[in-house]
Amino acid sequence: MTLRLYATGRFPLPASWPRCPLLSTSMAMDGLTHFLSAIAEIGFSAQIIVVFWATLLGITVGMIPGLTATLGVALVTTLTFAMEQNTAILVLICVYIGAIYGGGRTAILLNIPGTPANAASALEGFPLARKGRAGEAMAVATTGSFLGSVVGMVGLALVAPWLAEFALDFTSFEFFWLAVFGIVLCGQLTAMDDALKGWIAGFFGLLVAMVGQESIHAYARFSYGIRDLEGGFGLLPVLVGAFGCTEVFIVMRQEATRAVAGKVTGVFRSALSSFGHARTWLRSGFIGTFMGVVPGVGEDMGAWVSYAAAKRASKRKEEYGQGSTEGLLAAETGNNAAVPGALIPVLTLAIPGSAPAAVLLAAMIIHGLRPGPLIMITQADFFYSVVAMVFWASCAMLLLGLLLTRPLLLILRVRREWLMGIIFVLCTVGAFAIAGRIFDVWVMIGFGLIGFMMREAGFPVAPMILGVVLGPILDNNLRRSLALTQGDPLPFVTRPISAVIASLVFLIIIFSLPPVRRRVAAFRARFARGGAQ
Amino acid sequence: MSMRTINRTDFISGIVVAVMGAAGLVGSLRMPRFEARGADPFTVPGLTPGLLSAVLCVLGVVLLLRGMSGRVLAEGARPSITEWTRASAARTIFTIVMVLLYGTLLFGHMPFILATALFIFVFTVGAELIDTERSLPIWKLVIGGLVLAGVAAFAIDFVFTDLFLVRLPG
Repeated sequence: MTLRLYATGRFPLPASWPRCPLLSTSMAMDGLTHFLSAIAEIGFSAQIIVVFWATLLGITVGMIPGLTATLGVALVTTLTFAMEQNTAILVLICVYIGAIYGGGRTAILLNIPGTPANAASALEGFPLARKGRAGEAMAVATTGSFLGSVVGMVGLALVAPWLAEFALDFTSFEFFWLAVFGIVLCGQLTAMDDALKGWIAGFFGLLVAMVGQESIHAYARFSYGIRDLEGGFGLLPVLVGAFGCTEVFIVMRQEATRAVAGKVTGVFRSALSSFGHARTWLRSGFIGTFMGVVPGVGEDMGAWVSYAAAKRASKRKEEYGQGSTEGLLAAETGNNAAVPGALIPVLTLAIPGSAPAAVLLAAMIIHGLRPGPLIMITQADFFYSVVAMVFWASCAMLLLGLLLTRPLLLILRVRREWLMGIIFVLCTVGAFAIAGRIFDVWVMIGFGLIGFMMREAGFPVAPMILGVVLGPILDNNLRRSLALTQGDPLPFVTRPISAVIASLVFLIIIFSLPPVRRRVAAFRARFARGGAQ
Repeated sequence: MSMRTINRTDFISGIVVAVMGAAGLVGSLRMPRFEARGADPFTVPGLTPGLLSAVLCVLGVVLLLRGMSGRVLAEGARPSITEWTRASAARTIFTIVMVLLYGTLLFGHMPFILATALFIFVFTVGAELIDTERSLPIWKLVIGGLVLAGVAAFAIDFVFTDLFLVRLPG
């Protein structure tokens, strides 16, 4: 009712309120036209070949333990320097989507997630493989990933234009809180019941971002006269170190695993039957997209939250942990839906929804694109091209995943001792190639060691990376805001949007405190008991 | 309070984080304020790093105190830094040493193909020799390592230098 009144203009909303593009027919038609022409542009040109090789490369990257989606996108970024702008972004999006999907294969057959986003898939996929149902598990994972990407793509097409319009009202106060919100929420969600360590990782990342010249007085902070430090730490060397070099250490530290052997059958039948679980993949698609939108959280949490929601809603809860196709479908739908979801804040706020999205954001800037609230005004064509890229990458992933099920398994037979040396060389070259500085190689190794120590001590790495990305945003907007108000902090909590984001930050902190969590858990247990009686 | 009740990982991590925060705070306070230039006091370079360092220091102290209380964490957050076997320690030390050698001594100091082939060969053969479950005889391992090192070094050089026009050192 409210929506109808709003659409017909009879509902007196303030002029500054965001207008949903869905409710404006001409805007929706414009968007659809842009989207369809972008689909045709890729589909009827040589770019379709790029889609297939880049997605296959992504799947291969995702399948190799030690090569994460973040590292894959970072390494391929160095290969796209000579490419035309749109082709470069197309390659990176295909690698991103392919890698998140490819990690599921490793989770199913080795019980170790190819990328952290596939950890939830291992819980159900590996038991299925051990029961001789590896083909079925891989088919379910493929269909789930495809459906997740499609749901996420729809979310991207609908939400991003609205969010971009909404973000036009953001000033330095709101951007400051957005940076704090990202760190606090990411720290809370990625730290496995230990928010304190997540926040420490996030604030450490913010402090790392302070190294080098600041933007107002051009003063080189924490550089101690070292010329290389005056430019600060490059995002890509830090990312390659924290996600690539760290993985090399982690994989070599762990015991070796062997793939589950057995016949691969029933692939197409299982793939088709997965479409029938509409409630599961729709729910997981929405959850995954939402988790992708939350700054820094991304695919891992998309999979875990979708998996938990599917388990709660399931009529066959006893199958979970023993090889539930429903659980696997939920996890794989959730992580791939988070990919387009993570692109929403990248494109509209220039804030990454996940670690690979942070690399993608850096790559967009390297290629001369300017993501941010103005994207729908200055680069609307590019936005719809990105939506079309997600569509084609999802289709390529579905086709390659189903047709190359058996050949792709050969990748898992390669011993880690023969792979990790090459992966480290790729990390080194990837870090060096950005600026041609040996210093970046040392930064990469340094952050590899820091990331390794952090993970071993139970600290998540994702908030640190988000901190490195958000550091300049937080710094510039805090100082700009305080200069505007002559040191008066009140506008940080009295401006409407700022007040909402600030309240959310404080609520997250309060609900993460152990005494509050214990009380909430006790209350929920009492409530559940009351319901059962 | 006996040492047994202390969660050592959190205790040591807390000390490291608190010291890092304190050091950052001192460093921020020492940064110039550009008063002679008439700079706005709310734009001074040390403001944000100072605030962040203070927060980090407080969080470090909280972690330190939690470590001292010995509170058991949730299973999912249990650190693995204290759980080592002889084999995992050997593999990790070998990997770190090799990575440091390549990154600081080989890469950029000798021709890329030579440095990379040397690193991949030593890494592959060394990691296999450490592995107690190795099934390959040594001569096969050495030949395989040589082929892998040569092919990988030339392939990486070709892909980055010739296909994607990235300039590599040496």
